[in-house]
Order: sequence, then C-alpha cells, then structure tokens
Amino acid sequence: MLEVQGLSKSFYGTPAVEDVSFRVETGEILGFLGPNGAGKTTTMRMITGFLPPTAGRVLLADVDVTEKPLVAKRELGYLPETLALYPEMRVREYVAFRAELCGVPSSEKKARVDEAIQKCFVDDVASTPIGNLSKGYRQRVGLAGALVHKPKVLVLDEPTVGLDPRQIVKVRDLIRDLRKDHTILLSTHILPEVEVLCDRILIIDRGRIVASGTPGTLRHEMSQAPAVTVVLKGEVPEADAVLRQIPGVVRAARIGAGGETRVSLAGAEGSDLREPVFREVLARGWTLLELTPRQATLEDVFVRLVSRDAAAEADTLPGVEAEPPAPVPSGEVPQ
Amino acid sequence: MSALKAFRAIVKREFFSYFVSPLAYVVLTAFLLIQGYTFYLIVLALNQPETPRTALMSLFFTSVFYWIFMMLISSVIAMRLLSEERKTGSIEALLTAPVSEATVVAGKFAAGWCFFLFLWLPTVLYPVLLSRFGTLDWGPIAAGYLGIALVGALFISAGTFASALTKNQIVAAIVGFVFILGVFLVGVFRDFVTDPGLRDAVSYLNLLEHMDDFARGIVDTRRILYVASTVVFFLFLSTRALEANKGR
Repeated sequence: MLEVQGLSKSFYGTPAVEDVSFRVETGEILGFLGPNGAGKTTTMRMITGFLPPTAGRVLLADVDVTEKPLVAKRELGYLPETLALYPEMRVREYVAFRAELCGVPSSEKKARVDEAIQKCFVDDVASTPIGNLSKGYRQRVGLAGALVHKPKVLVLDEPTVGLDPRQIVKVRDLIRDLRKDHTILLSTHILPEVEVLCDRILIIDRGRIVASGTPGTLRHEMSQAPAVTVVLKGEVPEADAVLRQIPGVVRAARIGAGGETRVSLAGAEGSDLREPVFREVLARGWTLLELTPRQATLEDVFVRLVSRDAAAEADTLPGVEAEPPAPVPSGEVPQ
Repeated sequence: MSALKAFRAIVKREFFSYFVSPLAYVVLTAFLLIQGYTFYLIVLALNQPETPRTALMSLFFTSVFYWIFMMLISSVIAMRLLSEERKTGSIEALLTAPVSEATVVAGKFAAGWCFFLFLWLPTVLYPVLLSRFGTLDWGPIAAGYLGIALVGALFISAGTFASALTKNQIVAAIVGFVFILGVFLVGVFRDFVTDPGLRDAVSYLNLLEHMDDFARGIVDTRRILYVASTVVFFLFLSTRALEANKGR
C-alpha cells in the first residue's frame, strides 16, 4: 500500500508539485497521467525518497520515506524514467547486484534472481552485457532489477516509452501480471495504456491533481459536457479557428482532410454546441455535411482538463492566444 | 548488517567495473613502467657500496616523480566514482535501493582504494627478487606498504569528494588533483613554521616525513590517526555533497 499526503515540491521557490495526495491499495494499479512537465517524475522521485519533499509525506507500506528511508525503501521497486543501467554488466550480474543491494539473503539470492529474470522474459539474454541490449530488453532488465527483492510497492515511470509495439504489449502483460503481488503506481502519457492497465487514474497538470477516478467515471463525468464532430464540404482551412470563437467551445481541432473538412469540437459543461455551430456555418455560407454528437473519450477528458488551465492562463494574459491544440494522433496526448 | 551487504555489493561492482574500462589498463601500464624504472634505479644505487642499507623502501618514495605520479593516478582512479553515476543517471536507481548515501560513498571510496592497492601488487615482486641476492629486513618493507596504503586512502578520499561535486569526470579529475595537491602541500608548510610546538604538529601532516617514517619501519599511530580522520572527513563531505546534488 502506498499513501501520499499533501506532497509539495518547489525548486528555487517555483512550485513544481503542489499538495498532491492519494492512496494506492494493495493489488491496485494507479495510472498517473499528465502532459510532459506536469510534475509526474518529480512526484515519483519524492515517493521513492530520491528527492526530499518541500512539504507532505509519503508512506510506503505504512513507513514514512523521509523518516525511515532504509526501512521504507525495502518495500520499493522503482523503474526510473531515464533508465540507466551499468552497460558493462551482464544481465544476471546486474539483477544479482540489485538483490545484494536490497538485502536479499544469500541463501535465496540465486532463486530470486532466476525468478525475476524469468518473470521479465530476459532469460534468453541473461549473460549478455546490458550495453548490447535493445531498449525493450533493457527496460525489462530494469524491471527485473526493481522487483528482485519482492517489494510491496512498484513505482514505474513511463515503463513503455521508446518501445516498439510488440515490446509494449509484452511489458503491459508483464505489468498486469505483477498486480497480484504488488501495489503499482505507473506514470505515462499514453492514454490507451491507462485504459488497458489501470484500475484508477490520477490526472496531474502543472503540479496539481486535476481529476481522479476510474476510467469509467472520468469518462462519465465528461460526457456531461458535449463533444461534436463537424464535417464541412470542401477544404475550409479557417474552419477550426472560426469554430473556436463560438462561446462555449473549449477545443477545436481539424482531423483528416481529403475533399472535406472535419473538425472535432469539445464544449464546456452544460452547453449545447449544435445550434451555435449550425448558425455559424450557415452565416459563413459553408456546406454542412455532418454534425455528430460524440461520446467523450478519455482523450477528451484529458485534453479538456489540461487545456482548461491553458485557457484560464490565456485569459489573464491579454493579447496572448492559447496555443491551438494540435490534431491528436492515435492515442497520444499532445505534448 | 544489510548495510554491510550493500557496501560489499557496491565495492565488488565498482572494483570490477574498473577492468572493463581502457583507462584502468592505461593507469596500470604507466604505473608498472614507472615503478619498474624506479626499481632499476634502486638496483643501480644498491650496487654502489656507499649506499646506506637501512632504508631500502625510502628509495621508492623520495623522488618528486613518485609524488606527482601518485597524485595523478589517484585523481584519475577517483574521478569516475560518483560523477559517472550522476551523469548517466544510474544514481537514481542506486539511491532508491535501501542504501544510504554514506554507504554508497564508502563503497565507492573502498573500491577506488582497492584498485590503488591492486596497482601496487606487482611491486611485491621487487623485494622478493632482491631477497634472492641478499638478506632483506621485511619489517620496514611491510611498514612501507602500510604507508603507501595510507597515502592512497588519503588521496583517493580527496578525489572521491571532487567526484561528488561534478557530473563531469574531467573536471572531477582536475579538481581532485587540486584537492590532493592541497593535502600534500599542507604538510610542506612545516618548513615555514617557526614556533617549535606548532612545527611539531604540522610535521604530522607532512607526507614526505610520513613516508620516510614508514619506510624506516616506524609505524606511528598518530600518523595513522591523521590519515584516518582526514579520510572520514572527506567521505563525510562527499556524502553531504551527494545528498545535495543527487537530483540535479
């Protein structure tokens, strides 16, 4: 079990993480979601005791990380975002080194190392120097090193970043398999990953938690707010810019092309975009081919939460327009 | 108990990692060349009937050559100890294991020191060779090696501190060399002190005298204490520096 209470961190007076609190129960996978620079890694570094928090505390299996780091970290397996292993070591040597470092009794060492190596599917490269391995293998070696001492809590910072699709599937299967023995906190900016893996989601932006819940509840909450797809005849390059001006529109993005213009719109809660969009299109003399309300996806939830703040900030800076969100490619959140 | 285990694991990993870097072999080769040449000079000197026979070992340590070289290789041995882990980022995985910064620093230092001692291993052959051509007093020789080990600990600990201050190995080597030079020069101040009491005290910091004593077989616990406390001091500073810098 992992508990975080009022965690804050500032660097030279600039807050990076502000008042983050959450709890991950045993056997649960919590997805930690946020755009790059939102404070995910900083939070994880505080959880793992690598960075001292400015305020708040972290309990790893009921032990305070700041007060009793050596006891608390016994129950921690951590896969850092910038995974740096010792390139000159062989895989088995590295995992054995981690076992010794984490105080695995010598009598159990060999068995534990074998187990971790098998669990993470790196037994075929067990005697290869780490420097010669591909990124996907290295990631799994890092994971084997992180769980060789059977920690109660696993903290994984972007475990699938930089892997090819087949490796991603493998690592995801592995993580799903690990949930029965460990409490897992997983950070990512890949949305489908969260949907597939996590029981609960925490969305963080600018150092603050902006939403939390199961993927289902988050989607439900957001479906209160409308999302529509507008299809116009012909190429209308200015369509998204024009439609964004409609009161109530939070986000407008052009998707696809080819003889028609497709714009995806997300509106503020409680508004109905269909009528104003229709009137605007009519006023401009465009031909409306389609006006479809959409079920909000997790992506909408995420982009809305993150761009809501961006819009608020733009309001305080007159003359500065909020960056239009780029068309969202398959499943990735704009960075 | 588990700290000891982690310490052992760190020393082992660090020590063996020296042997996969080309630097280690460059240092080893240069060291053997220079020591071989020194040995040759000693044999030449011993062939002169007027050479005093009492302090064979001191011949090893009186040359300026020896000191500059010791300082140089110590800073090179120590430069990567902490800076490399911080540069690659592997320090993050290391320090999130249940080990304290102090254990990491101590382990790194011990590995560097072991490598320093390893360099000296082949030179044991020289007195063994000499003993075939005459009788040797093994006491002073053993004491001489103890003196070397102490000087090595002193230099490597200063270098470890330099390595904790920067991510850049070259900078660590240069800063380390300056620190080591500082440690060496502190003792040289003896010659500028006129007050006899103070002079006596400062002379314990003088490493030339230190080596001279040990080479004669004088094992002075005050000198051992000086080295031990300075080593602890440098390792303490390294630990604090690592704690402050690790996340950057």
